[in-house]
Amino acid sequence: MNALRRPAIVSFGFAGFVPVIATFVMVILMMVPLGTGAANIAMPNLVLISVFYWLSSRPLLMPYWACAVLGFFLDLWLDVPMGLNMVLLLLTRLFVLNQLKHFKGRSRLVHWVIFAVLSFALYVLSWLVVSFVYGAMLPPEPLALQWVVTAFSYAPVGFLLGRLRRAAM
Amino acid sequence: MLVAIALLAFEALGSGVPNQIRAYANDIVAPVLRVLEQPIRAVQAGLERIAGVSDIYLENEELRDENDRLRQWREAAMQLSRENERLRSMLKVPGREVPPAATTRVIGVGGGAFERSVLIGAGSVDAVTRGSPVVDETGVIGRVIQVGRWTSRVLLLTDINSRVPVRLERTGDLAIAEGQNESLLRLRFLPQGVQVRVGDRLLTSGHGGAFPPDLPVARVIDVVDDFVLMEPLGLLGKLDYVRVMAYNPVPDEDAAIPDAKEGSQ
Repeated sequence: MNALRRPAIVSFGFAGFVPVIATFVMVILMMVPLGTGAANIAMPNLVLISVFYWLSSRPLLMPYWACAVLGFFLDLWLDVPMGLNMVLLLLTRLFVLNQLKHFKGRSRLVHWVIFAVLSFALYVLSWLVVSFVYGAMLPPEPLALQWVVTAFSYAPVGFLLGRLRRAAM
Repeated sequence: MLVAIALLAFEALGSGVPNQIRAYANDIVAPVLRVLEQPIRAVQAGLERIAGVSDIYLENEELRDENDRLRQWREAAMQLSRENERLRSMLKVPGREVPPAATTRVIGVGGGAFERSVLIGAGSVDAVTRGSPVVDETGVIGRVIQVGRWTSRVLLLTDINSRVPVRLERTGDLAIAEGQNESLLRLRFLPQGVQVRVGDRLLTSGHGGAFPPDLPVARVIDVVDDFVLMEPLGLLGKLDYVRVMAYNPVPDEDAAIPDAKEGSQ
């Protein structure tokens, strides 16, 4: 009875924490000065990719609290308005859990397209939110570039996460 | 979700997470970033070496020529420096050299598409203070906005909140170099009638006390009517080692406005 009440993330043992740990590593990777040293516009939003991937494949292992905590650290370390990535990751979970029945088991291409559309909507939302917080409309071009890089990176990053999933679970 | 929205509301009202908490959070992640950067820098250096092998002969020739030219310039510069020093002492003008507080590496980046900032590996233990100007070997790159114990965050010139008082080197006219969250800067508030040419250099004017005067900032690359675009002279796209200058802005922001919203330079 007690085992039934335990959250899935705990009942899987260490393997249950792999999605959260892998995504936390992505948070740190997003701060590494790769390529351009000035700003990681060219760095895909690895955290968003990872959260979407794990929610699509193992939704119970990426609970709401994990999305909030990951978003909190991302906001803190990237020096963006606090709460921004928390909202984006929580909305991602809300969307995937509501729509998973429509695309679970479909091809990877379908997942990729859904991710591209979802991330576009989230980037538009984040642009509006940050513009509101800063009190001035930010130029949309850097955001559009990062969205393109993120959308195209979903396939290779998803492939690597898939390997990790098979190895760890 | 409510907590996240509340945090965003606090940010919008200007009472977000205090800078000091963010600065200490950077200190926590810095050791991990330092470890991660080692293999990345090794790979980057290896790739650059491989790419450079093919044209090493031509590069060697060019470096020899440049070295000869630089030797001549060095002699001229030393002569001018001696003369300048003599004239300064005759006129009793105080020296304007600003010593470095720390020379360090860029260990992380931040902001994504929203902000142009980098994390450097020097903090309060290295005598870095909030507002200190940061330069690389070619020009100004920004100024310190958060100081942790071992790390600091530098707001780059290209950030949308960055404003640097500048002087057109050719004419001496004053203006403001404004970041746009893109790779180029925009020149604002230039007096009417000033002819700006492509290739003109902009130096810090020293006004406002945020930056010492005469540091190279940017070069004009496009002029369309009143719209002047500039390319930063600091190598913002290839930052590695940077120098934090021991220059205290006047007035001291930390003392004046303890929790002021960051950004405006």
